[in-house]
Amino acid sequence: MDLIIKTISRVLFPFVLLMGIYVAIYGHISPGGGFSGGAIIATSFALLVIAYTEGDVEHRFTKEELVDIKAVSGLILVILIISMGFAWRLELLKTQTPLVLWSGGFTPILNVAGALMVITAIVTIIYALVKE
Amino acid sequence: METRYVGLVSLVIVAAFMMLAVAGLPGFGSFQQKEIATYYLENSLEDTGSANAVNSIVWDYRGYDTLGEETVLFCAALGVFTIIRRRFSGPHHKDDL
Repeated sequence: MDLIIKTISRVLFPFVLLMGIYVAIYGHISPGGGFSGGAIIATSFALLVIAYTEGDVEHRFTKEELVDIKAVSGLILVILIISMGFAWRLELLKTQTPLVLWSGGFTPILNVAGALMVITAIVTIIYALVKE
Repeated sequence: METRYVGLVSLVIVAAFMMLAVAGLPGFGSFQQKEIATYYLENSLEDTGSANAVNSIVWDYRGYDTLGEETVLFCAALGVFTIIRRRFSGPHHKDDL
Protein backbone atom coordinates (compact mmCIF):
# COMPACT_ATOMS: atom_id res chain seq x y z
CA MET A 1 0.00 0.00 0.00
CA ASP A 2 0.97 3.64 -0.33
CA LEU A 3 3.39 5.35 2.04
CA ILE A 4 0.81 8.02 2.87
CA ILE A 5 -1.83 5.47 3.76
CA LYS A 6 0.62 3.52 5.87
CA THR A 7 1.76 6.58 7.81
CA ILE A 8 -1.73 7.99 8.31
CA SER A 9 -3.15 4.68 9.49
CA ARG A 10 -0.21 4.12 11.84
CA VAL A 11 -0.71 7.56 13.38
CA LEU A 12 -4.49 7.30 13.51
CA PHE A 13 -4.68 3.79 14.97
CA PRO A 14 -4.22 4.53 18.72
CA PHE A 15 -6.76 7.35 18.70
CA VAL A 16 -9.45 5.27 17.03
CA LEU A 17 -8.65 2.44 19.42
CA LEU A 18 -8.90 4.78 22.42
CA MET A 19 -12.23 6.16 21.27
CA GLY A 20 -13.59 2.65 20.79
CA ILE A 21 -12.45 1.58 24.25
CA TYR A 22 -14.07 4.68 25.76
CA VAL A 23 -17.36 4.07 23.97
CA ALA A 24 -17.37 0.43 25.07
CA ILE A 25 -16.41 0.97 28.71
CA TYR A 26 -18.59 4.03 29.36
CA GLY A 27 -21.53 2.50 27.50
CA HIS A 28 -23.76 2.34 30.57
CA ILE A 29 -23.59 6.06 31.42
CA SER A 30 -23.11 7.75 28.05
CA PRO A 31 -24.30 7.04 24.52
CA GLY A 32 -22.68 4.00 23.03
CA GLY A 33 -22.35 0.45 24.18
CA GLY A 34 -20.75 -2.85 23.45
CA PHE A 35 -21.79 -3.16 19.83
CA SER A 36 -20.76 0.32 18.69
CA GLY A 37 -17.54 0.34 20.70
CA GLY A 38 -16.58 -3.06 19.36
CA ALA A 39 -17.29 -1.91 15.83
CA ILE A 40 -15.03 1.14 16.28
CA ILE A 41 -12.17 -0.96 17.70
CA ALA A 42 -12.54 -3.50 14.90
CA THR A 43 -12.43 -0.62 12.39
CA SER A 44 -9.07 0.48 13.78
CA PHE A 45 -7.70 -3.04 13.38
CA ALA A 46 -9.15 -3.21 9.87
CA LEU A 47 -7.29 -0.01 9.01
CA LEU A 48 -3.98 -1.53 10.09
CA VAL A 49 -4.59 -4.86 8.41
CA ILE A 50 -5.63 -3.33 5.09
CA ALA A 51 -2.78 -0.78 5.08
CA TYR A 52 -0.11 -3.39 5.81
CA THR A 53 -1.29 -6.18 3.53
CA GLU A 54 2.04 -7.25 2.04
CA GLY A 55 3.80 -8.24 5.21
CA ASP A 56 2.55 -10.48 7.89
CA VAL A 57 -1.15 -9.85 8.23
CA GLU A 58 -1.47 -11.18 11.73
CA HIS A 59 1.14 -9.11 13.51
CA ARG A 60 0.70 -9.41 17.26
CA PHE A 61 -2.86 -10.65 17.05
CA THR A 62 -2.96 -14.17 15.75
CA LYS A 63 -6.03 -16.15 14.89
CA GLU A 64 -5.62 -18.51 17.83
CA GLU A 65 -5.66 -15.60 20.27
CA LEU A 66 -8.78 -14.29 18.55
CA VAL A 67 -10.51 -17.62 19.00
CA ASP A 68 -9.48 -17.75 22.67
CA ILE A 69 -10.77 -14.24 23.36
CA LYS A 70 -14.02 -15.03 21.58
CA ALA A 71 -14.55 -18.20 23.57
CA VAL A 72 -13.89 -16.54 26.93
CA SER A 73 -16.07 -13.50 26.25
CA GLY A 74 -18.89 -15.67 24.95
CA LEU A 75 -18.71 -17.78 28.09
CA ILE A 76 -18.88 -14.64 30.25
CA LEU A 77 -21.90 -13.45 28.27
CA VAL A 78 -23.74 -16.74 28.64
CA ILE A 79 -23.01 -17.07 32.37
CA LEU A 80 -23.97 -13.48 33.21
CA ILE A 81 -27.15 -13.39 31.13
CA ILE A 82 -28.34 -16.72 32.47
CA SER A 83 -27.60 -15.71 36.09
CA MET A 84 -29.49 -12.45 35.70
CA GLY A 85 -32.49 -13.60 37.69
CA PHE A 86 -30.57 -14.54 40.82
CA ALA A 87 -30.30 -12.44 43.93
CA TRP A 88 -26.59 -11.62 43.93
CA ARG A 89 -27.10 -9.22 41.05
CA LEU A 90 -29.36 -7.12 43.26
CA GLU A 91 -26.83 -7.36 46.09
CA LEU A 92 -24.17 -6.09 43.71
CA LEU A 93 -26.46 -3.25 42.68
CA LYS A 94 -26.99 -2.16 46.29
CA THR A 95 -23.26 -1.61 46.86
CA GLN A 96 -22.85 0.74 43.88
CA THR A 97 -23.65 4.39 43.38
CA PRO A 98 -25.11 5.32 39.98
CA LEU A 99 -23.50 7.59 37.38
CA VAL A 100 -19.90 6.59 38.06
CA LEU A 101 -17.75 4.12 36.15
CA TRP A 102 -18.19 1.19 38.49
CA SER A 103 -21.97 1.06 38.51
CA GLY A 104 -24.75 -0.64 36.68
CA GLY A 105 -24.41 -4.16 38.03
CA PHE A 106 -23.80 -6.53 35.15
CA THR A 107 -24.15 -3.94 32.42
CA PRO A 108 -20.52 -2.72 32.08
CA ILE A 109 -19.15 -6.28 32.22
CA LEU A 110 -21.63 -7.33 29.55
CA ASN A 111 -20.67 -4.29 27.48
CA VAL A 112 -17.01 -5.27 27.54
CA ALA A 113 -17.73 -8.90 26.79
CA GLY A 114 -20.04 -8.00 23.91
CA ALA A 115 -17.44 -5.59 22.53
CA LEU A 116 -14.88 -8.41 22.59
CA MET A 117 -17.32 -10.66 20.73
CA VAL A 118 -17.89 -8.02 18.03
CA ILE A 119 -14.15 -7.27 17.69
CA THR A 120 -13.17 -10.90 17.29
CA ALA A 121 -15.95 -11.60 14.78
CA ILE A 122 -15.12 -8.64 12.54
CA VAL A 123 -11.35 -9.10 12.77
CA THR A 124 -11.70 -12.79 11.93
CA ILE A 125 -13.75 -11.91 8.86
CA ILE A 126 -11.19 -9.29 7.79
CA TYR A 127 -8.31 -11.72 8.22
CA ALA A 128 -10.10 -14.29 6.10
CA LEU A 129 -10.96 -11.74 3.41
CA VAL A 130 -7.49 -10.18 3.24
CA LYS A 131 -5.64 -13.47 3.22
CA GLU A 132 -7.81 -15.07 0.53
CA MET B 1 -46.60 -34.83 -2.13
CA GLU B 2 -47.78 -35.13 1.45
CA THR B 3 -44.90 -33.17 2.85
CA ARG B 4 -45.97 -30.20 0.77
CA TYR B 5 -49.41 -30.23 2.40
CA VAL B 6 -47.86 -30.55 5.85
CA GLY B 7 -45.78 -27.48 5.14
CA LEU B 8 -48.77 -25.56 3.83
CA VAL B 9 -50.95 -26.40 6.84
CA SER B 10 -48.23 -25.47 9.33
CA LEU B 11 -47.63 -22.22 7.45
CA VAL B 12 -51.33 -21.34 7.66
CA ILE B 13 -51.42 -22.11 11.39
CA VAL B 14 -48.32 -20.03 12.11
CA ALA B 15 -49.68 -17.16 10.00
CA ALA B 16 -52.98 -17.27 11.90
CA PHE B 17 -51.20 -17.00 15.25
CA MET B 18 -49.06 -14.16 13.89
CA MET B 19 -52.20 -12.31 12.83
CA LEU B 20 -53.67 -12.82 16.30
CA ALA B 21 -50.51 -11.38 17.85
CA VAL B 22 -50.60 -8.36 15.54
CA ALA B 23 -54.26 -7.75 16.39
CA GLY B 24 -53.32 -7.55 20.06
CA LEU B 25 -50.81 -4.74 19.56
CA PRO B 26 -51.70 -1.14 20.44
CA GLY B 27 -52.67 1.13 17.59
CA PHE B 28 -50.06 2.73 15.39
CA GLY B 29 -48.73 5.95 16.90
CA SER B 30 -50.74 5.77 20.11
CA PHE B 31 -48.29 6.85 22.78
CA GLN B 32 -50.69 6.58 25.67
CA GLN B 33 -50.95 2.84 25.47
CA LYS B 34 -47.22 2.09 25.45
CA GLU B 35 -46.95 1.18 29.08
CA ILE B 36 -43.80 -0.87 28.72
CA ALA B 37 -41.88 2.03 27.15
CA THR B 38 -42.77 4.42 29.96
CA TYR B 39 -41.91 1.70 32.47
CA TYR B 40 -38.43 1.36 30.94
CA LEU B 41 -37.88 5.11 30.96
CA GLU B 42 -38.99 5.57 34.56
CA ASN B 43 -37.54 2.52 36.26
CA SER B 44 -34.40 1.55 34.35
CA LEU B 45 -32.05 3.42 36.69
CA GLU B 46 -33.38 1.72 39.82
CA ASP B 47 -33.71 -1.68 38.21
CA THR B 48 -30.38 -2.00 36.43
CA GLY B 49 -28.29 0.86 37.81
CA SER B 50 -27.19 2.06 34.38
CA ALA B 51 -28.04 5.60 33.37
CA ASN B 52 -28.21 4.78 29.67
CA ALA B 53 -31.74 3.51 29.12
CA VAL B 54 -30.94 2.00 25.73
CA ASN B 55 -28.05 0.06 27.20
CA SER B 56 -30.11 -1.19 30.11
CA ILE B 57 -32.80 -2.43 27.72
CA VAL B 58 -30.31 -4.09 25.41
CA TRP B 59 -28.17 -5.82 28.02
CA ASP B 60 -30.57 -6.29 30.90
CA TYR B 61 -34.27 -6.37 30.08
CA ARG B 62 -33.75 -8.13 26.77
CA GLY B 63 -30.55 -9.98 27.53
CA TYR B 64 -31.58 -13.19 25.84
CA ASP B 65 -32.23 -11.28 22.63
CA THR B 66 -28.73 -9.84 22.79
CA LEU B 67 -27.31 -13.28 23.45
CA GLY B 68 -29.02 -14.44 20.26
CA GLU B 69 -27.54 -11.49 18.38
CA GLU B 70 -24.06 -12.45 19.51
CA THR B 71 -24.74 -16.01 18.39
CA VAL B 72 -25.75 -14.70 14.96
CA LEU B 73 -22.52 -12.69 14.80
CA PHE B 74 -20.48 -15.74 15.75
CA CYS B 75 -22.20 -17.84 13.10
CA ALA B 76 -21.60 -15.14 10.48
CA ALA B 77 -17.88 -15.04 11.26
CA LEU B 78 -17.71 -18.82 11.23
CA GLY B 79 -19.54 -19.04 7.91
CA VAL B 80 -17.39 -16.43 6.17
CA PHE B 81 -14.24 -18.05 7.45
CA THR B 82 -15.31 -21.53 6.39
CA ILE B 83 -16.35 -20.49 2.87
CA ILE B 84 -13.28 -18.34 2.20
CA ARG B 85 -10.87 -20.95 3.49
CA ARG B 86 -12.42 -23.75 1.51
CA ARG B 87 -12.46 -21.85 -1.75
CA PHE B 88 -9.02 -20.27 -1.69
CA SER B 89 -6.79 -22.53 0.35
CA GLY B 90 -4.11 -24.22 -1.65
CA PRO B 91 -1.56 -26.80 -0.57
CA HIS B 92 0.64 -24.11 1.01
CA HIS B 93 -2.15 -22.89 3.29
CA LYS B 94 -2.73 -26.18 5.00
CA ASP B 95 -1.42 -25.06 8.37
CA ASP B 96 -4.15 -22.44 8.70
CA LEU B 97 -6.75 -22.70 11.37
